[in-house]
Amino acid sequence: MTAGKTIIALGLVLVAVLIQTTVFQHFQPFGYAPALGLLTAIGTARYLEAEAALFVGFSGGFLQDLLGGSPLGLWASTFTIVVFITLKIRDREIAGPLAVLAGVFGLTFVGQVTYAILGTLFGQGIISRPGVFWDLTIPALYNVILAYPVFWIAKAAIRPSERTWVA
Amino acid sequence: MLPSGKRLDRATALFISLLAVGFLLATFDVRADGQSATTVLRGGAQTLSEPVQSGIDFLVRPVVGFVDGISNVAGLRDQNERLEAEVQRLEQALRETAALERRVAELEAINDLSPPEGLATVTARIYSSGASTFDQVRFINKGSSDGIVEGQAVIDESGLVGRVDLVTGSSARVRLITDPLVSVGVRVQDTNQTGAVTGRGDDVLQLDVFDATEPATEGAVLVTDGSRFPPGVVVGFIREGKEAKVGFTLRTTVDPAAAFSELDFVKVVVGWSPLDADPGTGDPLIDAPSFTDPGVDRQ
Repeated sequence: MTAGKTIIALGLVLVAVLIQTTVFQHFQPFGYAPALGLLTAIGTARYLEAEAALFVGFSGGFLQDLLGGSPLGLWASTFTIVVFITLKIRDREIAGPLAVLAGVFGLTFVGQVTYAILGTLFGQGIISRPGVFWDLTIPALYNVILAYPVFWIAKAAIRPSERTWVA
Repeated sequence: MLPSGKRLDRATALFISLLAVGFLLATFDVRADGQSATTVLRGGAQTLSEPVQSGIDFLVRPVVGFVDGISNVAGLRDQNERLEAEVQRLEQALRETAALERRVAELEAINDLSPPEGLATVTARIYSSGASTFDQVRFINKGSSDGIVEGQAVIDESGLVGRVDLVTGSSARVRLITDPLVSVGVRVQDTNQTGAVTGRGDDVLQLDVFDATEPATEGAVLVTDGSRFPPGVVVGFIREGKEAKVGFTLRTTVDPAAAFSELDFVKVVVGWSPLDADPGTGDPLIDAPSFTDPGVDRQ
């Protein structure tokens, strides 16, 4: 069943990245879009085995690299790091909606910062851009808003037997 | 050999391996500078995803238009008041235009500048944007089969949008001039000084005029100088006036002419290449390619 769940998770991340590059091209409140691909990778990592989650994270990031404008491997590395942190904290005793939302904000922010640092190291000049703080922060805030629907879909798709009205 | 009791678990080992692969890929991609297997990979991914992305875009576009329409109704009253004030301002500006037109004509004659008329363009629709906030790229639904090659300029009705930096058979990636990796040679239209406009990653560009002798005035028009882009295309307007200082580079900010958040259709200039341009004027030395595709327009 692990292979099946991994394929489903990969499909979810693929759809998220496609939505990211199309729907959020038109719909950008205040000029910013959520990091939907990253959020979906975090969401699927909550319900997959560690190795499968890392594989899905890397593949999702790689896909985002392929469909974006940055050097290949930057988003793949970023997604892998974020998924690894997710795996480390997902079984902690801290629970509840607020903890989940704070976790989503923190993980997305870490992902954005990681990408900004890696991008700068690889010549993209991201850190020095004006307004970079908002580029890092606002997608993380949007991800908090989208977290519950995305996590619910991830849980329903990967672990349908455990689906509840709260993700 | 790791100390006893601290064996690297499989997930951590996989994490380190994937990270190493990611860094290797990035290094390879950056070093190859667009001429490698990674380009083929990107091209393949674009070719596969383009129909799906175009389909989603086709479905989403009317919904976004509807939502935009509703939000516009709420703002119509304010807009009306703004427009009335704008009409008064434009009437005043119109009276000044005749003099300005004469001045522009004189400047064009002096500098041997001409707008990019007579160049062949291919009209394309934007179907996808970059995958993150940091990406300053757009994807268009025309590719090499329509005569598009890397390096060609992309314009819209307002001015320069960017340049093509990746092409597949049926799609292409446009890197916007707001990207820090893009630099455009420009001429300040009212002073004839040349400089370079570079993206900053946001909606404002940066202008550097080396050996500036005259001040940069707010609102002055910047056009391409014909070095890498067709000459005479409007790039933007100086946002902030600056005095020139001898021995220093004049650096100021520029508002781009194109509204990147509202881009829908663009034109790719297929009939001009810096290699084919007259080194003096930047005008094309060769005829534009004779495509039979109805999407190829002659401006």
